[in-house]
Amino acid sequence: MSDINFEKLKAIVGEAGVLSDPADLYVYGSDSSVHEGTPHAIVRPQNTGQVQQLLRYADEERIPVIPRGSGSGMCGQAVPVRGGIILDMKAMNRILEINPQDGYCRVEPGVVDDDLNRALKPHGVFYPPTPASSVVATIGGEIANNASGTRSVKYGAARDAILAMKVVLAGGELVSLGATTRVAASGYPLERLMVGSEGTLGVIVEATLRFVPIPKLRCLGIAMFNVLGEAGDAISEIMGSGCQPSMLELVDKVAITAANKAENLGLPEVEAILLFEADGLAKETIDPEIEKFRTICERHNGFGLEFSYDEKERTRIFAARSKLFPSLSKYDERLASTSLADDMAVPFSKMAETANKIHEIAERNGLVMTAYGHCGAGCMHTKILMDTEKGTQWEAAQRAVKEIYEYVLSVGGTTSAEHGIGLSKAGAFKREKAAVLDLMRGIKKVFDPNNIMNPGKLMDGPDDWVGETHLRYQKS
Amino acid sequence: MSDMSKLEKWKGALNKCIRCGYCYEHCPIYKSTRWEIDSPRGKLILLYGLLSGEIEPSEYVAGKLMECFHCGRCQKACSSGVPIQDVYQDARELLIEAGFEVPGTTSQTDADVCALCLNCVRMCKHEARSFVDGRIVTDLLKCQSCGSCLDVCPKQGVTIGRGFGTNPDELEREVAAFFADGRNPEAKAIVFSCGWSNYPGMQTANYEPDAATAEYKVLVTVCSGRIRSETILSTLDAGAWGVLVVSCPEEDCEHGGSPRVKARVEALLKPLAAIGVDPGRVQVAEVAQGNPKKFLEVTQAFMKDVRALGPLLARSEA
Ligand SMILES: Cc1cc2nc3c(=O)[nH]c(=O)nc-3n(C[C@H](O)[C@H](O)[C@H](O)COP(=O)(O)OP(=O)(O)OC[C@H]3O[C@@H](n4cnc5c(N)ncnc54)[C@H](O)[C@@H]3O)c2cc1C
Ligand code: SF4
Ligand code: SF4
Ligand code: SF4
Repeated sequence: MSDINFEKLKAIVGEAGVLSDPADLYVYGSDSSVHEGTPHAIVRPQNTGQVQQLLRYADEERIPVIPRGSGSGMCGQAVPVRGGIILDMKAMNRILEINPQDGYCRVEPGVVDDDLNRALKPHGVFYPPTPASSVVATIGGEIANNASGTRSVKYGAARDAILAMKVVLAGGELVSLGATTRVAASGYPLERLMVGSEGTLGVIVEATLRFVPIPKLRCLGIAMFNVLGEAGDAISEIMGSGCQPSMLELVDKVAITAANKAENLGLPEVEAILLFEADGLAKETIDPEIEKFRTICERHNGFGLEFSYDEKERTRIFAARSKLFPSLSKYDERLASTSLADDMAVPFSKMAETANKIHEIAERNGLVMTAYGHCGAGCMHTKILMDTEKGTQWEAAQRAVKEIYEYVLSVGGTTSAEHGIGLSKAGAFKREKAAVLDLMRGIKKVFDPNNIMNPGKLMDGPDDWVGETHLRYQKS
Repeated sequence: MSDMSKLEKWKGALNKCIRCGYCYEHCPIYKSTRWEIDSPRGKLILLYGLLSGEIEPSEYVAGKLMECFHCGRCQKACSSGVPIQDVYQDARELLIEAGFEVPGTTSQTDADVCALCLNCVRMCKHEARSFVDGRIVTDLLKCQSCGSCLDVCPKQGVTIGRGFGTNPDELEREVAAFFADGRNPEAKAIVFSCGWSNYPGMQTANYEPDAATAEYKVLVTVCSGRIRSETILSTLDAGAWGVLVVSCPEEDCEHGGSPRVKARVEALLKPLAAIGVDPGRVQVAEVAQGNPKKFLEVTQAFMKDVRALGPLLARSEA
């Protein structure tokens, strides 16, 4: 890589669009993960033309380019491990078109998810992937990570919302991928390759997304279980019985205890809670769904069942889930909540076993871990609560992460459900995809022959995330 | 070099920050620039770097820490209970001790212009201004950047260098742009909303058709007391049918801005009435922090009045 020519960068995006103070470089070196790196420059393009010029320059000089939305990735996707230019996409933040008639909208990549949904609401529609981080996550970051959320069980992930895309490739070429129509059978669906690409193939500069009508009614239910396995059996039966939940969430005992401790919720400290939502136009179609849920839960010894259509009541019932995330950081003063082995997907029938396994592995390694997730989509999340000052805790975390992913793969699961791979999950990802890593590298080579796009991630990420990357908790 | 190890006591708090960014959308500084370093999360990361020794204290770093409107929204929104404002305050103290006295968003007095009337000293509710060695000085740690002192200075000798969109000239530019020749055909009014009370809207996205169909625009001021009569008049002059100022309830207002702006609008209505301007066109409403519903209600009620009154310039010409 050659030295960065700051004059050149400023000539492209203007003086105010380039940052290089060591403080800025430090701040842009991290995201929501445990990893840290140091870029050489932060550059903020205002339009596609500038992105093209920047990529042309970077490619000629072999300078790494790391596109960045809000840096809310949990696995170090936007962390610059080989220096280079952070391409801050937040100035490309225009919602270009909302077309209710043809059922799509066009946006620039820096638009924040919640902002898009705010703009869509008057049209009676919503963009459904909506991760829990929708208040910060950008559409570009969501596509590049294939984000999803609580309602993806019914409405799909970022992958399912993409119709078309404009992408700038390394070297500066602008390409249009996909089609605005609902169906398209024209060759390789290249727009889908960008989904989950984590900035390694090109820079998304525009996305055409589909949306769905906001349901008139929503009904939320809750059920408690004294045996985690029984909650798991209920999940498999719900998903196997043709039920159509718009949300199906599992919360385990660690999470319940944390929520009670931190937020005084007074939830019964049972082994597991299931939350179930059905939505639609009329009670006549929703009630039978809820009834099925009730019957199945009761069959598996679920108790304390409650349901409500009322918004206030739904918020109260949902507190067990919505307060979970903040509670974890307040669980114990000495423990920090770290995103490690933070997400995975397993077959429905393995949800309960996975949750049990996570607890077993945590205990064996002297860690506190929780298991929760969008179980209706087979998605399981964990957090490792640990004393980051202690080297032994990192060693334990490393062992636990390895064991968890070995288990996940052994039951036919996959390394990431929605948070992506980045650095922390690269080892597990490479083991899972061993047979196709060369195919992936080949694809990358076609898109990015000089390997400037977010190098050192996904299939080229580290096998050992503790030893090979700098962690935010370590002194330099 | 300064001793940043004193930040050690906040190490636990800094470790608690899970870097989720939930504090972003609440920060008026971040909303204005959208650079990570201007976000509450970015500032905490900076402090992390100072503590770990990965970055050195500097004018630039101190400036970033000093840029804050002390609204406390970040801390309220924090998912992890990080005592953000206390951490900032200690860091500011250390940076000042280390010789980095950077004004940031604090108010500064131009000694060449100052009439030494001490109005500002009396006005400051935070005891941040004092008269020392024949001139007015601002205590950088006490100043809350409310702008009240700017408001009462007869010589306009007090300024806040970086307003992040909230200084009167910046507000007036936004107003002019909103009403600029037919750009937003439905444009009717401006709502000046106190940054400490409540303001809605997009985090950072830009949706032009939204502006084109919007009847009003919400502009954030740091304290409602900073809305000057000149700003209200120039807004009407720019083409607004009406102006609404949203302030905190008087009992919540820590800066004295709420009663001041009420008195100012009251005083303005008389001469306006004399030239035929209906008092319904300039209103003040109180909304407490964290009450978006009330904000919407008062704005809608105001817009109803304004629509009924019709365009101002056409009417006064008639
Ligand atoms: C509290 C919290 C909760 C979360 N909850 C969820 C959840 O429920 N579901 C979920 O799926 N995720 C969740 N996440 C993870 C994260 O928010 C998502 O992955 C999100 O999509 C990242 O968006 P971002 O804009 O922050 O991207 P960044 O972190 O900035 O970037 C992520 C990746 O996308 C690439 N990228 C960004 N913009 C572009 C572009 N324009 N072109 C090409 N590549 C680009 C980057 O290079 C990087 O590899 C959560 C994170 C946090 C902190
Ligand atoms: S107190 Fe207000 S202005 Fe200061 S960092 Fe927090 S949100 Fe931003
Ligand atoms: S909301 Fe709190 S935990 Fe999240 S980034 Fe901001 S300060 Fe950190
Ligand atoms: S009146 Fe407000 S801006 Fe002026 S010194 Fe006091 S706190 Fe600072």
